[in-house]
Amino acid sequence: MRDDRGTGFTAPAVVLLTLVTAYPLAYVLYLSLFRKMVIFDISKFIGADNYLYMLHDARFWNALENTAYITLVSVALELALGVGIALLINRPFRLKAVARALILVPWAIPTVVSAKMWEWIFNTDSGVMNYLLGARINWLGSPFWAIHAAVFADVWKTTPFVVILIYAGLQVIPRELFLAARCDGAGPWQIFRRITLPLLKPVILVVLIFRSLDAFRIFDTVYVLTGGGPANTTETLSIYAYKLLFQTLQFGYGSAMAVVVFLCVGLISVLYVKMLARESAW
Amino acid sequence: MTTRSLRIMTSLMLISILAASCSGEKKDGSGTTVLVFKHGKIAGDYAEFKKLLDRFERQNPDIRIKDEILPSSTDEQHQFYVINLEGKSADFDVLSMDVIWVPEFARAGWLRDMSGLLPPKRRGDFFPGPMRAVTYHNRIYAVPWYIDAGLLYYRADLLDKYGLKPPDTWEELVRTARIVMSGERGMYGFVWQGKQYEGLVCNTLEFFWSNGGRVLGRGKAAIDSPENAQALAFMKDLIVKYKISPPLVTTAVEETCRRIFGGGRAVYMRNWPYAFKVLERRGSAVRGKVGVSELPAFDGRKPRSALGGWQLGINRYSRHAREAELLIGFLSSPEAQKFLALALGYNPALKSMYRDPDLRLARPFFERLYRIFMSARPRPASPYYMMITQVMQPEFSAALTGIKSPQEALESASRQIDHLLGVVGR
Repeated sequence: MRDDRGTGFTAPAVVLLTLVTAYPLAYVLYLSLFRKMVIFDISKFIGADNYLYMLHDARFWNALENTAYITLVSVALELALGVGIALLINRPFRLKAVARALILVPWAIPTVVSAKMWEWIFNTDSGVMNYLLGARINWLGSPFWAIHAAVFADVWKTTPFVVILIYAGLQVIPRELFLAARCDGAGPWQIFRRITLPLLKPVILVVLIFRSLDAFRIFDTVYVLTGGGPANTTETLSIYAYKLLFQTLQFGYGSAMAVVVFLCVGLISVLYVKMLARESAW
Repeated sequence: MTTRSLRIMTSLMLISILAASCSGEKKDGSGTTVLVFKHGKIAGDYAEFKKLLDRFERQNPDIRIKDEILPSSTDEQHQFYVINLEGKSADFDVLSMDVIWVPEFARAGWLRDMSGLLPPKRRGDFFPGPMRAVTYHNRIYAVPWYIDAGLLYYRADLLDKYGLKPPDTWEELVRTARIVMSGERGMYGFVWQGKQYEGLVCNTLEFFWSNGGRVLGRGKAAIDSPENAQALAFMKDLIVKYKISPPLVTTAVEETCRRIFGGGRAVYMRNWPYAFKVLERRGSAVRGKVGVSELPAFDGRKPRSALGGWQLGINRYSRHAREAELLIGFLSSPEAQKFLALALGYNPALKSMYRDPDLRLARPFFERLYRIFMSARPRPASPYYMMITQVMQPEFSAALTGIKSPQEALESASRQIDHLLGVVGR
C-alpha cells in the first residue's frame, strides 16, 4: 500500500511557501492591474493599461537597458576573474588557507557598507581611485563613468562568490585526467580548454544563474553610489520600481514594474535551467 | 521529536506570540499612557534631547514618552511612514515630517486635523513658509517644529584679504570667487549640491526663484520659462564656463560640500544652517574664518532660500490624540524651542524666539537668519510634490551633466509635470 503520510509532512512547507511567496506574488499581480495611488484615494481597475503605458515609458526602457548592461558586463567580468582566481588558488602554495579566507572578505561585507566605501574611493576630490591613477575623473558624476563605477564595485563585491563555487567545482575533477593529459603531451592551455573548462560547465551554469538573477535585481550598490543619477544613467529597474512604489506611491504602476522584473528574472532562469538540463543529459 | 519537547516548543512559541502582542498594548497597570514619538536622528547630543522629553514627563506624570529613532535618510523615513500609515498602524502617535510631506499625508487622510491646536490667532507666531507647508485646504495638519533654509557660507578671511565683500548677486559671486581663486592655489570657488536627489531640487529652485522663476502656476507647470532656462544654464556655466564649481558638484551632497569647505578648500558654499556649528567646532580648519549670509540673486531680483525643516503631526489612527497634542504643544512652546536652539542648534519655528537675548548671544548670526527664514519659500506645497520632484531630479541632473540642454530639460520636465497633474486630477 502506498504510504501517503508524505502529504501531511510536506503540508507545513507548502502552507509556509504559499503564505510568504505565492500570496504576495498574486497580490502584486492583482495590484498591477489597478491605477492605485493611495494619496489620492484612487483605486481603479484598468486592466493592462499599466503595462501598455510602460511600453511608451522612456524611463522604463532606459532602466531596462541599464540593468541589462550592468548584468551582462558585471557577470562576464566576474566569471572571467572568478575562474582565473580559482585556478590560481587551486595550486599548492604556502598560506593557501589564508589566501582563500582573504578572498572571501568582500563577499562578507554588507553591500550597503561596501557601497559606501566605494563612494569614498570614487570621490573625485579625495578618493583613492583618482589618487592612484593620478587623474581627476568625476567617477560618479559623469554619465560615462558612473555606470562603470557601479559595475566595478559590484564585480569587486561578488567575484569571491564565483571564486568559491568554481574552486569547489575544481575539487571534484579527478587528478588522473590532468596526469593523463600531461603524459599525452598536452600544454596548459589545451588542458584548460579540453579538460578543465568542459568539466566545470555545470558549475559555471549554476554560477551564471545565481549571478545573473542577482545582478538583474541590483539595487543597493547602485542606489548608494549614485541614487540612479546622473540623469538616470545608472537607474536600474529595481531602483525605478522602488521610486515608483515608495517615493511616489504609485502602487499600481510600481507593481507592474515589479512584475516585469519578476518575468525577466523568470525568463533568465528558465533559459539557464534548460541549458543545465541539456548539460546533465549528456 | 518527543511529545514532551514538542509541547515545550509549542508553549514557548505561544509565549513569544503573547509577549509580542502585549508590547503593542499601550496602557500599563498604573494608568500611564505611553506615547510613541517617531523622529529622525537628532543632530547633536541625544542626551540633551532626552532631557527635554524628561521635562515633559515631569510636567505630565501620567504620560510616558517612548521616542523611536528612524533611519537618518529622509527617503527611508518617508517610506516607513507610508507603509505604516497606509496599513493604518496605530503603533506610533506623534510623527515628525519633512516640509514636503505634510500636504501629501494630509491628502491621504493619514494626519489628524490640528486646526484646533493652532487657532488662526496663533498661526502668525510661526514663520509664513512652514505655515504654508502645514496648511492643506485651509486646515492645519501639523505644527512647525524647527526650520531650515539654504544659506551662503563664505570665507570671511579670504574675502577680507582681497578687499572683497560677500556677494549680493550671482554675477558678483562668480567675479569674487575668480579673484580669490587666482590668488590662492588649489581653491574651489563655489560648492553646492548637484547629485541627483532632493538636495539638487532645493539648490536649483533657489536659482530659479532668485531669477523670478517658478515651478507651478495656476495648477499647471510653469517650469519651462526663460527665467528658469537662464538660471539652469547659469548653474551649468558655474562648472563649465566660469569654472568656479568643480565637476564633482554633480555628485555632491551636503556633507561632501561641508567637508571641502571645512577643509579650507572652497571660497563659497551653499548649505543648510547645520553646517555652521560643525565648521566652528574646535579643531576645524576654518574655525573663526566663516561668514554666513543670504544667498545671492540674479541682478535686479530678490534672493529666495529653499525652506527645509521638520513639522510635528499626529497619526490619524492614534488612540492617544489628546496626549499627543500635549506633547506637540510642549515641543513647539517657546520654552522647548529655546532649549533646542541652545542645546542642539535647532532653529526655532517661532518668530518671537529671534528676539530672545540669550539666543542672540549664543548664536551670532541669529538676526540675519530671521530675515532669511521670513522670505524662505517652501518647495511647491502640493500633494503631488513627491512625483514632481521625481520628474525634476533627473532632468536637472541631465542639464548639469550636459546630457540635455537646459532648454530641453525644462521642456521635458514641463511636459511630464502636466501629464502628472492631468492624470491625477482626472
